[in-house]
Amino acid sequence: MKGNTSIAPPKLPLKFFRWFCNPEFTEDIEGDLLERFEKRKEKGVAAKWFFTMEVLKLFRPGIIRSFNGIKRLNNYGMFKNHLKTSIRSLRKNALFSFINIVGLAISMSVGILMILFLTEVFSYDDFHIKKDRIYRVTTHAKQPGRELHFATSSFYIGNELNEQVSSVEKLLVLREDLYADLKINEKAISITGFYSTASFFDVLSFKLLKGNPNTALASPGGIVLAESVSKKLFGNDDPLGQFVTVEDNDDFQKGIITGIVEDPPINSHLQFEALVSMKTFETSPKKYRRQAKYNKALISDYHVYLLLKENAEIAEIESLMVEMMAETNSKWPQASLTHFLQPMETFVTDGDSYVREPGPSFSQRLIYIMIGLTTIVLLSACFNYTNLSLARALRRSKEIGIRKVTGASRSQVFSQFMVEAVLLALFALVISIGLFYLIRPGFLNLPNPSAKGYQMFSLNIGYKQLSYFFLFAIGIAGIAGFLPALILSKLKARVAFGDASNIRLIQGVSFRRILVILQFALSISLIMCAVLVHKQYQFALNYDLGFATENIIHIDLEGDNLDLLEHEYAQLPEVIQTSRSSKILGVAKADAGIMISEDRSDTIQVMLNKIDGDYLEMHEFKILAGSGFRTALREDERIRQIIVNEELLKSLKLGSPEEVIGKKVWFKSSDYKDISLAIVGVVKDFTSHSLTEESSKSFAFIQLPMNQGKRTSKERFLGRKSKILGIKIRSNDLLTTIEKLENIYREIDPIHPFNARFYDDEIAETYKNYKASYTIISFLAFLATSISTMGLLGMVIFSTESRMKEISIRKVFGAGIQNLMLLLSRSFLVMIFLAGLIAIPIAHHIINNTLLSNFLYQAKFTVIDTLSGLLFVFFIGLITIGLQVRRVALHNPSDILRDE
Amino acid sequence: MGKHHLGEFEEVVMLTVAILTNDAYGFSIIEEMEKRLNRKVSIGALQTVLRRLEKKGYLNSELGESTSVRGGKRKRFFTLTSSGKKVLEETKEQRMGLWSAVPEFVFGK
Repeated sequence: MKGNTSIAPPKLPLKFFRWFCNPEFTEDIEGDLLERFEKRKEKGVAAKWFFTMEVLKLFRPGIIRSFNGIKRLNNYGMFKNHLKTSIRSLRKNALFSFINIVGLAISMSVGILMILFLTEVFSYDDFHIKKDRIYRVTTHAKQPGRELHFATSSFYIGNELNEQVSSVEKLLVLREDLYADLKINEKAISITGFYSTASFFDVLSFKLLKGNPNTALASPGGIVLAESVSKKLFGNDDPLGQFVTVEDNDDFQKGIITGIVEDPPINSHLQFEALVSMKTFETSPKKYRRQAKYNKALISDYHVYLLLKENAEIAEIESLMVEMMAETNSKWPQASLTHFLQPMETFVTDGDSYVREPGPSFSQRLIYIMIGLTTIVLLSACFNYTNLSLARALRRSKEIGIRKVTGASRSQVFSQFMVEAVLLALFALVISIGLFYLIRPGFLNLPNPSAKGYQMFSLNIGYKQLSYFFLFAIGIAGIAGFLPALILSKLKARVAFGDASNIRLIQGVSFRRILVILQFALSISLIMCAVLVHKQYQFALNYDLGFATENIIHIDLEGDNLDLLEHEYAQLPEVIQTSRSSKILGVAKADAGIMISEDRSDTIQVMLNKIDGDYLEMHEFKILAGSGFRTALREDERIRQIIVNEELLKSLKLGSPEEVIGKKVWFKSSDYKDISLAIVGVVKDFTSHSLTEESSKSFAFIQLPMNQGKRTSKERFLGRKSKILGIKIRSNDLLTTIEKLENIYREIDPIHPFNARFYDDEIAETYKNYKASYTIISFLAFLATSISTMGLLGMVIFSTESRMKEISIRKVFGAGIQNLMLLLSRSFLVMIFLAGLIAIPIAHHIINNTLLSNFLYQAKFTVIDTLSGLLFVFFIGLITIGLQVRRVALHNPSDILRDE
Repeated sequence: MGKHHLGEFEEVVMLTVAILTNDAYGFSIIEEMEKRLNRKVSIGALQTVLRRLEKKGYLNSELGESTSVRGGKRKRFFTLTSSGKKVLEETKEQRMGLWSAVPEFVFGK
């Protein structure tokens, strides 16, 4: 038997046996197994086989350790006990738990935000059933000195691919320059959207509510309206087959409604109010529009989508496209066009790589930055939790000791602390969801240029998201609670009962010190940034522009009966005065023109506004000499008069305000070619543009003709406001007044939307980016401060708890409370000052060079503003340290020393 | 008694334990059974029955001394309890009763 020692019982079955067998039986049965194996050894490999079979046959109810008997009951009991002791210990240290929970909650709210944000970004376009097979053709255009990636390509390449490549199942081409006014039975509505080929509903999964998906976009004049637009135009009537008149569009005059499509969902990269058949565009009366589809080099106007077959080779198609363009490219050696395919899933997330995106997109870099920042925030919060729990656990070493002595295994103590961490994280989760709702609006309002003005995110919480949050909280608890649980469960009972200060929990105190200093430096600079940005924001809002803006409402003028509208408004008792202009001053840059002195010796750039006779009076401009425009200008009349400001007199060296009245100057702008105008008035200097805009200070008013000012659909498409009616009101009840204004507007112009804004709100809107950054920075400051305060608290508790004996002895020898407090807090206050020394210069640099560098007029910052961050953090730190140190200092020394 | 009936395998196991008297442990029981009854017995089947009989109070078990063989694992020795003996005797009497009730011509003697 002994001769054949090379054969040992197979390890795996043996392990398996040991795992499943009732521990009471393991030893003797294993002995039997081995003995039997020994006996069978001569049979070689077969013995192993028998052994395995025996083990498998042992896997039966009588032998298997009981899962559901004693064991689970026992676990349940332990779990209950863990839960109970956790709640007790959380409640016993209510303040401490509160700080810990809130600290964790603040950072977790950022995590929640990020979870929602990421799920939404990555669920973009998910509603398209064939999403994984949809690609778009993009273009890489190389020109001397410039390279651009277009999200668009040419109609030509789309057609070529569709005809020559077998793996292309369907081709869809869109053009985004669709804008028009649709009219039916005296009702009208402006729309924007896409010209589309007939395959729209084959390739994309937008829901067509009415109409035939195959023919809706197949013939010229076919219009598919979004549901909401159709409701506005047709109400509850059946829109299908209705003929509409098309205005403000170069390509067609008559259309027919061929379908109603559900409004594009928020997570669609294509947003539209209407779709018009591409055939309409191709039959446009303008030749260059008809022929656009044959132009190989026109790569900036068409969005070309391909639905590929399952096994399509992307690289193959891309190389085919290179061949197709080879001839065109060889004609212009210095420039080249290369087409690529982009899968649908990256349309939105790769937003900053392409120009001419058809709809909202998001920058990939920004996504990474956000994930990175969130991770840092969460990790440092976890670190603080760890730090605090460890420091705090010095107090609980006796509890651990007793648990161990009464027979708790290491894993039980471990799970005790994990349960506590999970419990805490779940509490924190609840608070963080509340906090999330506080920061949600700020986040949604963050400026995101690539969103193209669309609301990209809803950030709503559903059941799916709630389950993510739950897992997230458990994960956070795992990361934050692991280290304390591990270290504390390792504690030996003998050590646990001994002097707490002998426990060396974690090394690297100086490392933690540096970390806390950095955290404080971060909070100080963030608070400073928040304070200064806020001050600058308020400064910009309250800046004296040099004219009155209070109680003035602006309405965009779009209809035909402008004079009637103004007349009706003037009749209202609440309305003090009305006036018309082409621009709103003080919010952005005004239009520019060129002014030349009469003898043509001096030329300067001036900023312009076209106004009517009441404008200057209504806005309380200070007229230094002359007057405003006295007589109204008829539509067919040539402008003859001009009003200028003091600065312009200086720049053109025209002399004093009184002298220049009646003098002639030459004037040029995009609307006027070198005309001679007489100066009729001079106004005091004022600020015509927003404070972030660099602009010429010379300013001129020219006259706005009567009844002119209709804004075309094209201007609306391009986002231009051209004519504005200003109304000065005296009412206290602003809402009713606006309602009255709206009712009158609706009567006179039912087509165009009523768009009214307060002047002051518009000025605030100009600086909304600063408000958004103020909100975000404040939140970050709040976040950083709470994190660093937690870090500090951890350090203070740690150092005071471990110096208890020293403090007691000092007390016995007669040290006073103040004495002790100074002793204990000195080093921490030094840390905060150090942090301030690092933070203030850095923050100053960032504010002046990044955050507020756009402002040409800066608010004066006082010393208090500059020191605000440091003072605030110092104050918070003082309270944190003070409370803890005071508690320790007031301790009765005999309590601590009597055990010695 | 009456309410406890021994299964066939249970009976055989108990009898083997009785045969082996002071040396009845898992492996030796199997050996004995295989030798005498010429049938294959798996450890799993045997151990389950042993534990069951112990639970019913027919068998007693005791761990022996640790030895150098079988990987240093101790043996668990089984002995019959008095109620175990009683059950075995009852079973035997029942069988004998049945045997004696069988008419002689059935076996052709």
